[in-house]
Amino acid sequence: MKEQTASRWFDMTTVIILTVTTLLCLAPFVHLIAISLSSAGPITSGKVSLIPVDFTMEAYAKVFSDASMIRSMFFTIALTLLFTVMCMLMTIILGYPLSRKKLKGRKTMMLIVVITMFFSGGIIPEYILVRNLGMLDSIWALVLPGLINPFYLIIMVSFFNNIPESLEESAEIDGSSHFRTLISIMLPLSLPVLATLSLFYAVGRWNGFQDTLMYITSPELYPLQLKLYQMVQNSMITDLLKNEGGQRNMLLVPESLKAASVIFATVPILLVYPWLQRFFVNGVMLGAVKG
Amino acid sequence: MSFKSYFTRYWQLYALVVLPLAYFLIFRYGPMYGIQIAFKDFNFFQGILGSQWIGFDAFREVFGMRDFYLALRNTLMLNFLDLLVSFPAPLILAILLYEMKIVWFKRLSQTVLYIPHFISWVIIGGIVYQVFGTQSGMINNLITSIGFEAIPFLTSKNEWLVTYLLVGVWQSAGWGTIIYLAALTGINKELFEAASIDGAGRLKRIWHITLPGLKSTIVILLIINLGNMISIGFDRPYVIGNLAVREYSDVLSTFVYRVGLQSGQYTMATVVGLFQAVVGMIFVLGANYTSKKLTDESIL
Amino acid sequence: MNRQHTHNKRRMSSKALVSAVVLSTLFVSACSSNNGQSNPGGAAEGGNGERVTLKIEVFDRGNTPTGMTIQDNYMTRYVQESFGDPNNIDVEFVPVPRSEEIEKLNVLMSSGSNVPDIVFTYDPNTFNRYASQGGLTDVGPLLDEHAPNLKAFLGDDVLEYGKFEGTQFSIPAKRSNTGKYSSFIRQDWLDALGMPVPTTTDELYETLKAFKEQDPGQTGGQVIPFGMTIASAQYETMLWSFIEPLSDEERFTLTQQLGSNDYPTLLPGFKEGLAFMNKLYNEGLISKDFGLDEDKKKFYEDISSGKTGFFSEDDVNLYYENGTYDILKANEANANVLPIDVFTNSEGKYVKPKYAPNGMYIMIPKSSQRSVEAMKYLEWMASDDHLFHIQNGVEGENFTLEDGIPVALENPSQEAIDRMFISGDMAIISNGKQLGSEEDNMKARKLQFPTRYQEDVALAQEIANRDTVEMVVTGRPIEAQTKYATTLQDKFNELIVKSTMASPDQFDTVFENMLNDYMTNGGQAILDERTQLYAELNG
Repeated sequence: MKEQTASRWFDMTTVIILTVTTLLCLAPFVHLIAISLSSAGPITSGKVSLIPVDFTMEAYAKVFSDASMIRSMFFTIALTLLFTVMCMLMTIILGYPLSRKKLKGRKTMMLIVVITMFFSGGIIPEYILVRNLGMLDSIWALVLPGLINPFYLIIMVSFFNNIPESLEESAEIDGSSHFRTLISIMLPLSLPVLATLSLFYAVGRWNGFQDTLMYITSPELYPLQLKLYQMVQNSMITDLLKNEGGQRNMLLVPESLKAASVIFATVPILLVYPWLQRFFVNGVMLGAVKG
Repeated sequence: MSFKSYFTRYWQLYALVVLPLAYFLIFRYGPMYGIQIAFKDFNFFQGILGSQWIGFDAFREVFGMRDFYLALRNTLMLNFLDLLVSFPAPLILAILLYEMKIVWFKRLSQTVLYIPHFISWVIIGGIVYQVFGTQSGMINNLITSIGFEAIPFLTSKNEWLVTYLLVGVWQSAGWGTIIYLAALTGINKELFEAASIDGAGRLKRIWHITLPGLKSTIVILLIINLGNMISIGFDRPYVIGNLAVREYSDVLSTFVYRVGLQSGQYTMATVVGLFQAVVGMIFVLGANYTSKKLTDESIL
Repeated sequence: MNRQHTHNKRRMSSKALVSAVVLSTLFVSACSSNNGQSNPGGAAEGGNGERVTLKIEVFDRGNTPTGMTIQDNYMTRYVQESFGDPNNIDVEFVPVPRSEEIEKLNVLMSSGSNVPDIVFTYDPNTFNRYASQGGLTDVGPLLDEHAPNLKAFLGDDVLEYGKFEGTQFSIPAKRSNTGKYSSFIRQDWLDALGMPVPTTTDELYETLKAFKEQDPGQTGGQVIPFGMTIASAQYETMLWSFIEPLSDEERFTLTQQLGSNDYPTLLPGFKEGLAFMNKLYNEGLISKDFGLDEDKKKFYEDISSGKTGFFSEDDVNLYYENGTYDILKANEANANVLPIDVFTNSEGKYVKPKYAPNGMYIMIPKSSQRSVEAMKYLEWMASDDHLFHIQNGVEGENFTLEDGIPVALENPSQEAIDRMFISGDMAIISNGKQLGSEEDNMKARKLQFPTRYQEDVALAQEIANRDTVEMVVTGRPIEAQTKYATTLQDKFNELIVKSTMASPDQFDTVFENMLNDYMTNGGQAILDERTQLYAELNG
């Protein structure tokens, strides 16, 4: 009896905490939506918080009528898909062997990976490498240099490690090859972590733009985030505009258009996680052990 | 086991690692000759190999700068506070979500909680200013309207620390839950059923079943976090930091940006980077060793 | 036996791996050094009469209109047709993101590849660095041989700014108007209080206090008498008015040039200026958050929502179509902003800084094999009406001529608007519109604005050019300035923010501490170098 009341209290507290944090996390997004739907006057005078003032869809009309924006969206989706698939492939084929405790040279290989978490050559030799491989201004410059994230690899190894060794051994006794074990036992048992790391890779690529600043010059290969970054950065250097002899109204992107572009570029990737949640099924592993 | 039988048994695994290792050698180790910039008077037009060697001169210069030590102290301080505050936050959130029984609510909040991760720091900076400003920030408007003195959340050192930490938690906690939620799927639900038959309380159940189920994930993340104690992202301290609280907000990344990159002094930037790498490596190996002794979990 | 083998094997594998690492490192680095030297310009050899490619940097600000690209638009086609085709040159524009301009240029330079034949920067430090590291072409002979019009257009004064230790390593752009700042006050607030327009710093102080106490704008206690940020346009006019009259020697040795501006950190009177700012802050006359407002967003928000009574700003920023003033009037129909000059120095003058007569530094990298073509391009721009066309567009579609001065059309077509998006960044040899004289330039600038504001613009421009102090020309680069500029700019702003926000009794201590910090981080090095140089030049 007493424990049931305690349990109810616990549930109540959970609901309250989660509601508050959820609202806090939602607020800035709602604010951006409100800005994207308001007119310039109220925005500049700081009158827009969570509800649009002087409602207008103009900004969205502009975003959706901008062919380069739409093209950029498709390119970003293609880039993210390609990147995620290749990264996962590479991370899996390195992660699986590294999780096999009996493999000789495992620690050395892991050390090789861990060192790269801390040491890097810096931007100039990286640029030279990309250039020497003939990848400048191509999609590969945005894919190949980031194929394996050491941190994600470590996570994958740790999850593989938690899969009972007995499973693998029984497969081996059955005469199954390592390839088969990986594909038919390890991967199906690791769906949650595969989904998680795919999400990490995809989001990282979707949100990343620093490399595009260096490697990409053709507008057809501009990812959305690069366009967004330029829009947002522009307003940070208004002070320079007069200095540079430009006409301010030609150079400034309206706040509502910025916000609409942010929403436009964010919503697609936000939808990935709810979709991936189907792979977060409880007890996959348990069933397998029993079976 | 003879070499031959070992090889017949494991060649497939070696075959698998060839491509990934080639990746590491080419893309990660290939550019590492750039590290020599730290020991050279870097000249843009002579490139990395053509520039003059200067030995440890640049190290002497960096280690002689007062601002370097300030930035180092702040980096360690902010990271340590983050470890206390931002590290446990996603864990707690994940457990709450796991305990949540209303499925639609769970799904909804799971999705909403990670939105802040997708909003760029430039935009967050603008919002932080609107919310925490002293003159007309939303919170201070509320505080002054009920007759209290405005609180300088952003312009006074200690208040700023709190703001910095809270914004960090807000921005990263939801995103951090994802990995724990993935790990939680591995917990054997039968253990819970057994526990509730025992009449174990909810908190007890969390303590004895849920947390141990997350142990290896927690330890791995902790080791990596400790390895990163001396490196710090650029955006958060740069965007939330400001001139009034420079004594706390200037960290190694912003220091390198100002003294190294903005001023075209790549040698100085590389020196700091190399210092961070060496210390980070020591930290991570130390943490790994300790963890192996204490918990039998390790990354190496 | 087994164990032994395992052990050996492990050692073998790690050894093999290590050597593989070393090998691949060597391989890649050898590769890169090779590549870097064999083909520095990235351009093909071209004999006489052969078509060649000229690469020109262009800023990408992410504001390209629909249907165009930064590399293919009205202006680039114009350049190709008018300059490229007749000279058998393919002009290729290399976009560089505006916000990462210097970083990208640095990477291009040090990787020795894809370096455009014409590059530019606003940052004098970057120019000095490139010149001192021996990476730039001496354009002096090229100017003499190929560019008579360009030389005449720029004039010797401007060209002087492009020299590094006596050699013409860059071509500085010419600035059309060197005025910077004006101050502005809410005339309607003054009228409501029955107060006259303030004409001195003391009168202004009284006016600000009245704004604060009587809140003529009925802001409900949210009044900001003096709009302030940590951008130079807001504080410079005020601080420079406190600087005491200087001897030539003091001006030379005590001024600190950081980036393209002179800083008054060590000038006599600077501390008094900050003390005044500290007083304003502690009496609630400037915003508590001014130190956070780097992009002026809050500043404009407060002006346009009618909370701000007085402020200093770039002379014409208020007056753009749908700009700050328009929004203020939409919020308060009776709002009336008057451009004024108010900060008086000890001699009763309204001193304020002005721009140097040059704009950005145009450079031809030493590795370029197209330096002649590059110079021809700049010469082309300075010849005939090419610059005029780039800056003003098409007559009848973008502008009409009145007394030889282009007046922007009231309602240009979208096509006409779009073609101008890159105008300012294409006209690299000039900052602002050039019509032959500074007077005409200012007139033309005025006529770009909506008719209703043209009178105010004229007044603000006049104020911006009144009693200005010129930048100090040292004639030789100060190395310490190049090295410490970014750090010191930051320290300078920190000094302002901290000293201003200190409580009045703490002001002296905070100021001294911050100044000390400034000096040890490079301020002293600059002072020493300038003092020594002055002695040398006048020795």
